[in-house]
Amino acid sequence: MNTPHQVPASAARGSVPRLAVFPLAGRSGVRAAGEIALTTRAIWEGVLEEAVLEDDDVYYLELSDVTFVDVAGASALAAAAGRLQDGRRFVVRRPPSALRRTLDLLWPDQAGIEVSTS
Amino acid sequence: MTAAVSEPFGPPEPFVHPAFFYRDEREYLDVTVPFVRDALAAGEPVAVAVPGERLELIRDALGDAAASVRLLDMREAGRNPGRIIPGVLRSFADAQPPGSRVRIIGEPIWAGRSDLEYPACAQHEALINASFQGRAATILCPYDVERLPEEVLADAHATHPTVIRSGSRQEQDSGTYAPGDVVARYNEPLPLVPDALTFAFDADSLSQARHVAVGEGSRHGLTGVKLDDLALAVAELTTNSVVHGGGSGVMRVWTEDGHVVCEVRDQGRLVDLLAGRRPVPRGQRGGRGLLLVNLISDLVRVHTGADGTTVRCWFAR
Repeated sequence: MNTPHQVPASAARGSVPRLAVFPLAGRSGVRAAGEIALTTRAIWEGVLEEAVLEDDDVYYLELSDVTFVDVAGASALAAAAGRLQDGRRFVVRRPPSALRRTLDLLWPDQAGIEVSTS
Repeated sequence: MTAAVSEPFGPPEPFVHPAFFYRDEREYLDVTVPFVRDALAAGEPVAVAVPGERLELIRDALGDAAASVRLLDMREAGRNPGRIIPGVLRSFADAQPPGSRVRIIGEPIWAGRSDLEYPACAQHEALINASFQGRAATILCPYDVERLPEEVLADAHATHPTVIRSGSRQEQDSGTYAPGDVVARYNEPLPLVPDALTFAFDADSLSQARHVAVGEGSRHGLTGVKLDDLALAVAELTTNSVVHGGGSGVMRVWTEDGHVVCEVRDQGRLVDLLAGRRPVPRGQRGGRGLLLVNLISDLVRVHTGADGTTVRCWFAR
């Protein structure tokens, strides 16, 4: 391919996105940083798997440092929310706008997910 | 029609999908309004998804009864033909209680649909039959015989098992029903666009592909939700290429008539004709990528064949 606007992928190599996850101090939940997509999906699913097993009513997902969540990442969140025991919920704090858009379109009435923009 | 006592091949198909050819407003209302009133009288859920000006005609003719009908402007809800089955027809039909027939008037093709849109429109009409096979539903599709070209009316005979001719209120066999042929015929190649920004990707560069597309979309004037939508579409299409399409692909972005256009080519072959048009049951994990792309794009065109698959999406600036 030799179009005038070709972007060489090689220049971008070595920067495969990561997802770092840190437990929150003083409450049940995690802060995540990075992006949730194909290469980090297993990490995100692992976080949600553990979150489902917690006891506290609210499990915080602090996502202000997450730059993107793809549909599979949103799907994993919706599926995990569907497995929460009655009365429990995820509070998703400051998620990237793409996640809000996906949840609105594909899981508009999903119980167990509260999105907080503050 | 009498009872199906003599049906030699099992019960008759419960899905009814006539094309209705109308010449003017009077013919339009003479068929659509009784269709709605009969449904209401029978206690059957009914929706009308037609272009805005026609929607107003039906709304006015129905009077107070319009409040019991789901009314949608097809120019908005069905701008992308690939959105109509999951976002309009099935989303209404699937939300109704089981056991009663669902009735919908759906007018996806109007004079003014562009040459770019039309192949997706014809494929959409053909695929309704597969999407609703076996379901107790009636979808009446009006066609404006005064303003639509002959080829479009011929295609409507191929995408609908039955037709209601102009001036008649009787449903009759279309005579040339062949929806599979229409899907195949409008699986048209999407030639390369010169001077598009081009990015070859694989699993390690999915994120970069998205960043490159968003940068280009932003440079061409996309903002806010539209820019998010471009990012989501690129992420889903490139991830599909990596997971299902041979592990890599080429993304291109360019502008065209007030739209930012993005396409992804890979070596895969799309065999599931209803991919991206099938509502996904709650609880099922995968299978929503192409569905989301259809819901958020202003137009989606697909070409698939032995040489690979191209998906092209338009986003209005």
